[in-house]
Amino acid sequence: MSYIVATEQLSKRYGSRTVVDSLNLRIPAGCVYGFLGPNGSGKSTTMKMLLSLVRPSSGEVQVMGQPMNRGTRRRLLGHIGSLIESPPGYGHLTGRENIRLVQRLLDLRDEQIDQAVRTVRMQDQLDKKVRDYSLGMKQRLGIAMALARQPRLLILDEPTNGLDPAGIEEIRDLLRRLSDGGVTVMVSSHLLGEIDKTATVLGILSGGRLIFQGTRDELFAASTPDVLIDTPHPEYANTQLKGMVASRLDHGAVRVSGIGDQTTARVVAHLVGAGVDIYGVRRDEQSLEDVFMDLTGGGGL
Amino acid sequence: MGAVRAEFLKLKRSLSWTVVVLLPVAMVIAGAVNTLVSGSRPEDGWHTMWLRSVVFHGLFPLAIGIGILASLVWRVEHRGGNWNALMSGPTSALRIMASKAVVVAVLAAAMQAVLLLTVVVIGVVVFAIPGLPPGRYVGVSLLIMLACVPVAVLQSGLSMLMRSFAGPIAVAFLGAGAAVVLLLAGLDAAVFVIPYALISRATQLGTGTFGDTGAITGGDVASIVIGALVLTAALTTATTQILDRRDTRT
Repeated sequence: MSYIVATEQLSKRYGSRTVVDSLNLRIPAGCVYGFLGPNGSGKSTTMKMLLSLVRPSSGEVQVMGQPMNRGTRRRLLGHIGSLIESPPGYGHLTGRENIRLVQRLLDLRDEQIDQAVRTVRMQDQLDKKVRDYSLGMKQRLGIAMALARQPRLLILDEPTNGLDPAGIEEIRDLLRRLSDGGVTVMVSSHLLGEIDKTATVLGILSGGRLIFQGTRDELFAASTPDVLIDTPHPEYANTQLKGMVASRLDHGAVRVSGIGDQTTARVVAHLVGAGVDIYGVRRDEQSLEDVFMDLTGGGGL
Repeated sequence: MGAVRAEFLKLKRSLSWTVVVLLPVAMVIAGAVNTLVSGSRPEDGWHTMWLRSVVFHGLFPLAIGIGILASLVWRVEHRGGNWNALMSGPTSALRIMASKAVVVAVLAAAMQAVLLLTVVVIGVVVFAIPGLPPGRYVGVSLLIMLACVPVAVLQSGLSMLMRSFAGPIAVAFLGAGAAVVLLLAGLDAAVFVIPYALISRATQLGTGTFGDTGAITGGDVASIVIGALVLTAALTTATTQILDRRDTRT
């Protein structure tokens, strides 16, 4: 598989504080890569290192097969659109003037500009000053400015932050359309639900470390769901399991966490041996949210 | 050229133009009011007018004015996501620094042109000084504009580094003060080291004030031109290096 972004042991330290720790990101070309993690887990810092806005303390970044550093960045950045932290835009200028700035700076054709503006549906808002835009409009203008150069890679840091549900849906729809058009999109969020439906590959960051990277199916497989034991005597069954596994009562059933198939068999045998009637043993239905919580240790959602 | 044109587009509806007009006009009018209040007239005609406006302007206000212009030009980049957008585009650090410096230098030159024009208008209308000012004032004004270029580069660099609006202006004030002291002490070589000394020296050219002899020699002109070129090249290289190595705030 060809990766449009790959990092090797990418780390960033500020003094003794490690913000990003030995990241090996692999972003396949053409995917929507959902970069998830609680606030403060190092997502923005990582994205800044991918763009060479911040230099890594150690490790390296490869973008489009070439090393990304201070010597090469300007050449590579011509093919990368990005929106990091708050959206850009000169408040004293209108949307159209802001777009024209980008056009002059990057020497773009009128069609490229028009297409970018239409993609984010901003063509009717361009004569207002950016100062008077809503946050959603600023985000869309920022994305249009990033798209105008027709990038191969788009890096968006929390693009749905502060948007209303309609705005969030619009961004999701936009990401899907861009991806269909062949652009690789990396998008970060601290809310799983926001990118759950759009991302094809997920990377989960916690405390500066990449704790998971892969498809959504792989993510489910990485986390073991709880075992639920249905019995008419849940209290008695629960006391029988004390000291053996982590169990608790849950709505008339016994919930056992973190056990594999072998242990499940031993638990059932033990309960049967103790004279507990067992009606059913099943794995819990797991939402992506649960998996995420499980992996990040419940941090900061 | 795209980067320079983009920079000029950013000046639309900017306060910079107000500074370009108001600062020199206010300086000349303040000088004229002082003269009128003291009940005197510019005894030496255009020479006195020039001393009380251009030379005075060159001591502090000019450096501060360029500082304000540079802070205004950079202020927008320190807002919102503009810094990240600026640094994650294909425009090189050299082109960014050069285009910003060009804009500040052009504004400073415009300020000098407004100053010259105001001196002529006030001289003719308020003091009825006979004739027009000597032609060499135009030549000296061009030299002052050239001398402003390294100051524009330096102030632009300071305003790039500091998010504070007033910080770089305070540096300009201190730098101009140091320059005055050095020139009073007769250390003309300061023009090769301190850009603020260069603008003070250029504004004093041919006036016989401070360390000036009163005559404009080829040596004087050459030292200002060489000082401006050397300092511009050195400061542009230094500020470009700093911008290129600098990390975005996290």
